[in-house]
Amino acid sequence: MIRHHPDDALLMALAADRLARGPAVVTAAHVERCAHCRARLGELDAVGGALLEDAEPAVLAPEALARTLARIDSSGPIDGRGDGQADRSAADAAPVRSRDAASPRVPALSRAEMRFLASLPAGMAWPRSLRSSTPTPWRWLGPGMRWSRVTLADDRAANVFLLRIAAGKSLPAHTHDGIELTQVLHGSFHDGRERFDVGDFDEADGSVHHQPIVEPGGECICLASVEGRVAFDGRIAQMLGSLVGM
Amino acid sequence: MDIARRVIAPAPAAAGAPRLTVVTPQRGRGAMPTSEELNDLVRAVATNGDRQAFAVLFKHFAPRVVTYLVRGGTPAASAEELAQEAMVVLWRKAASFDPARAGVSTWVFTIARNLRIDRHRRGGDADLAGDSAEAELDSHADPAASPDEELDARQREQRVRAAVRKLSPEQARVLHLSYFAESPHAEIARELCIPLGTVKSRIRLAMINLRRLIDATEP
Repeated sequence: MIRHHPDDALLMALAADRLARGPAVVTAAHVERCAHCRARLGELDAVGGALLEDAEPAVLAPEALARTLARIDSSGPIDGRGDGQADRSAADAAPVRSRDAASPRVPALSRAEMRFLASLPAGMAWPRSLRSSTPTPWRWLGPGMRWSRVTLADDRAANVFLLRIAAGKSLPAHTHDGIELTQVLHGSFHDGRERFDVGDFDEADGSVHHQPIVEPGGECICLASVEGRVAFDGRIAQMLGSLVGM
Repeated sequence: MDIARRVIAPAPAAAGAPRLTVVTPQRGRGAMPTSEELNDLVRAVATNGDRQAFAVLFKHFAPRVVTYLVRGGTPAASAEELAQEAMVVLWRKAASFDPARAGVSTWVFTIARNLRIDRHRRGGDADLAGDSAEAELDSHADPAASPDEELDARQREQRVRAAVRKLSPEQARVLHLSYFAESPHAEIARELCIPLGTVKSRIRLAMINLRRLIDATEP
């Protein structure tokens, strides 16, 4: 049961293409496994459709239609009539969001990626929004704490990472200047305000000062995107923070 | 009505036949096709490769997609090129369009948006654009849609449209700029004469109100 969802302003930003790539993949990771938010996002896409209908039409070059028809004629057979190439490249792309879980075409994984995926707990779903992203191997962050930096193919500077925290352990208390988005991929944590289970989403801005503690039942893996600097309390925590590159 | 009748009439040409003559729709200037007519046009493209139906869709959507892209900061020449690309995707994916999942306008909006995302990511390489637009459309045909998602698209689009119309002029402007402007926050601040720091809460308020209106018109 998912209880924590992105708010409408954040989903609208996804629908309107206003999110940087980091926040977009974390939000998309939530939407892809939350039917409630897929329906809401569908409504916000429909807002885009309504605004498009109302838009003042631009004046096109007189030959625009003829050129488009010429492109259609030169672009090969229509989808569903044996043009497999288009489908394959679609699977390689990291779409804003995609629900084609059933698609049998998965891009070839490197050995390092396979090793990483094998290191995940059994039953943990790897977000499709990370399909073309590359996680580093797990790195030590502290006792019971590991992390992996996730490099997005289309925005290498995006600050996206995975945190893997053992049962009962906590992350150092911290605040941040920018927005921190978190999607729980496995296990659950409690941040002193509320409990977050697998599938739950959290958005925290600079006004939130929190110290997530992983619930005793088992380890927790979260996908997070941070904009702005993260400030940890205490010297050791600050050192850890600088290791993470936060 | 005229469009619908004309489209349902048997299409003379097969998909591959090069026939570039365009028949101007017999309707009053400025009249908008209804969502049912748009669905019929897409179906005619999907089943018969109907170029007249495609031409009507093109005349309706391509100029609006160009407006959307240009307002968002795409240079006019690339915007027109990208709008053509969006219409090519519409042609190619017409068969996977499912009117139970979204309206045609919403579908075209997502195609154009995703093409723009691709273009930004790939640094303007036209040959590579279109991947996520196509992936998005593939997702339309996802057979594993949950009952929630099966909610009749027509109802949903009507509710959303009615809700957008009921927003105050100021909140409607906030919404429009959020989707269309090149720098929404700066433009909202300028148009509403409010400090940049308060734009976020204005957007949030507009979204809360929009949600309230959408849910209030739930059947």
